[in-house]
Amino acid sequence: MNPSADATAPPARRLRGTIADETAVSSSMRRLDLELEEPVAFQPGQFCMLNLAGERALVFGRPFSLLAASGRRLSLLYKVVGRGTARLRDAGAGAPVTCLTPLGRPFPAPDERPRLLLAGGVGLPPLIAWAERWGRPRDLRCAGGRDGDDLPRGLLGPGWRLSADRPAGEPGGRAVFAGNVVELARSLLPAGAPAHVVLACGPLPLLRAAAGLADERGWDCLVSVEERMGCGYGVCRGCVVPRAGDDGYATACKDGPVFDARALDWARFGGEGAA
Amino acid sequence: MTKLPDWLAFDPRGPLRLGPRTFPGRIWTASGCFGYGLDGADLGTAGGGSPFDGLGAVVTKTVTPQARRGNPPPRLWETAHGALNSIGLENVGLARFADEIVPVLEARGVPFVASLAATRPEEFGDLARRLAAAAAGAAHWHGVELNLSCPNVAEGGVDFGRDPETVERCVAAAREHLAGRALLAKLTPNVGSIARLAAAAARGGADGVTAINTLIGMDVDLRTGEPVLPRRRGGYSGPALLPVALARVDEIVQETGLPVVGVGGVATLEDALKFFAVGAVAVQVGTAQMSDPFAAAAVAAALAAAG
Ligand SMILES: Cc1cc2nc3c(=O)[nH]c(=O)nc-3n(C[C@H](O)[C@H](O)[C@H](O)COP(=O)(O)OP(=O)(O)OC[C@H]3O[C@@H](n4cnc5c(N)ncnc54)[C@H](O)[C@@H]3O)c2cc1C
Ligand SMILES: Cc1cc2nc3c(=O)[nH]c(=O)nc-3n(C[C@H](O)[C@H](O)[C@H](O)COP(=O)(O)O)c2cc1C
Repeated sequence: MNPSADATAPPARRLRGTIADETAVSSSMRRLDLELEEPVAFQPGQFCMLNLAGERALVFGRPFSLLAASGRRLSLLYKVVGRGTARLRDAGAGAPVTCLTPLGRPFPAPDERPRLLLAGGVGLPPLIAWAERWGRPRDLRCAGGRDGDDLPRGLLGPGWRLSADRPAGEPGGRAVFAGNVVELARSLLPAGAPAHVVLACGPLPLLRAAAGLADERGWDCLVSVEERMGCGYGVCRGCVVPRAGDDGYATACKDGPVFDARALDWARFGGEGAA
Repeated sequence: MTKLPDWLAFDPRGPLRLGPRTFPGRIWTASGCFGYGLDGADLGTAGGGSPFDGLGAVVTKTVTPQARRGNPPPRLWETAHGALNSIGLENVGLARFADEIVPVLEARGVPFVASLAATRPEEFGDLARRLAAAAAGAAHWHGVELNLSCPNVAEGGVDFGRDPETVERCVAAAREHLAGRALLAKLTPNVGSIARLAAAAARGGADGVTAINTLIGMDVDLRTGEPVLPRRRGGYSGPALLPVALARVDEIVQETGLPVVGVGGVATLEDALKFFAVGAVAVQVGTAQMSDPFAAAAVAAALAAAG
């Protein structure tokens, strides 16, 4: 099963705009609303390259998955992890931005088979967007965090099952499974459970475990990968991930970020950089 | 709208005559920073327009005799005022470039310069011969830029491009097969005298030189004490390069009088005008084109609109 350049995803545009709103939605995640110069649309799994404009611009934009779009308003979820994201947080409402959007191959629309959504950390937004657009009761939605307080519960309706590596109680009365999100899925879908198509987005260990689960069960699995990006539109070959079948690379930005798990070489993934 | 300064020695808005060719403009994209000139064609802005509008040439990603898979990731690292890259010349190889990419550029009417790299002078000759044979009728193929300066490949690379005699032999080998196309040698700044390399390229028959390729740079991850790039050092590009590139272009122009295509840190018309001020005949936009696909087109539009 191949993620495809969805015919309904509009071509990308470079739009100017401003930061309209910026708020914390959990202990570690923040929501950013942009007001762009034109209406925007996207498919869940697509991303934008966002940069501050003018004096505060970074050398490269930063890739962020798209959470929601309404008219000229585009919303993202992000975590402050470094210079760029700190600068975004501190820019303040009204700060001018540029945004190249929408980019990349989305998660496809579902067929009749149930989906298993596995989201962790900053992998949440594309799967929240997918569930809003296409989710059905038969799909199983799982979101994982570190302590549970880092999950944006306001955005994760009762249809979402939650997990945390170290749960800090049950705030809001929601049960939180102790363990990672793939362990949660295994507990809900023991061996012999009906086949699901896995959609996974999050850090590499999550993707690896998701692909492992799917492989074990013979299920299809789509993963959305994260790599450092330069251009976001396919020209610099900076954001590569190891491709299965030969010793070459695919780009996260243009060939992905959503890949069939079988199209990636998991043995080489994430390891070789350390050499 | 910027007013064109009256100190300009020439009008940079017109076409550019370089060797046997006339380029439609003097604002180009730099090799490796705009792919093969294929991606980006479907991108737009609120005002319409295309990233290709007004470009004098797209210098395509460097191709080598055989396809290369490139370096392991991470390949990019942003620094405070620039970027480090270690792409490792990942490319499709000359055969696929000539058979699959040139026809599309030609059909789309994209003016282009093919960037070529090899590890021995004879190989440069061979690349030029094969490309000339495959693209003989390509009207939008204006020239070749010999990449004599990539810092990210173990074999060849910078050391190779630092020796004037080797530079001369590489250029001469390619020149033989490129009658009717402009021939540029792209030089490394990681050398004492860049003017000596430029003079050597001219002796080999180059119509001009491109300066500069990336500086060699590195960064360290303080959490681990390790270099951020797996191959330790990479190519340093972006805004920080502008003063360095200007000085190198100035050095070449002052000492040799050769036509120079300036590249390094250009993001705006003002940046480009500085290169024209020191005598560059054209300017390439690299890193800025990565962060904004409309960067070079915007410089070209600003230049065209300047009174
Ligand atoms: C397709 C895609 C979608 C993404 N969606 C989101 C999102 O919705 N929300 C969100 O918060 N983040 C998302 N990211 C990650 C985000 O782009 C990075 O966190 C951001 O670029 C970091 O910038 P910085 O300058 O703050 O950090 P830097 O100072 O550049 O780096 C700080 C740390 O972040 C890591 N990092 C940097 N860039 C990336 C990257 N591209 N991918 C993974 N790790 C990285 C570095 O290894 C380092 O540990 C996405 C990445 C991709 C490729
Ligand atoms: C990601 C990246 C890839 C590059 N690839 C090539 C290449 O294949 N061949 C080449 O001659 N120069 C290559 N360069 C160098 C640029 O063409 C240019 O000389 C340099 O980056 C300085 O210009 P800038 O500051 O505008 O980027 C590359 C630069 C970057 C950032």
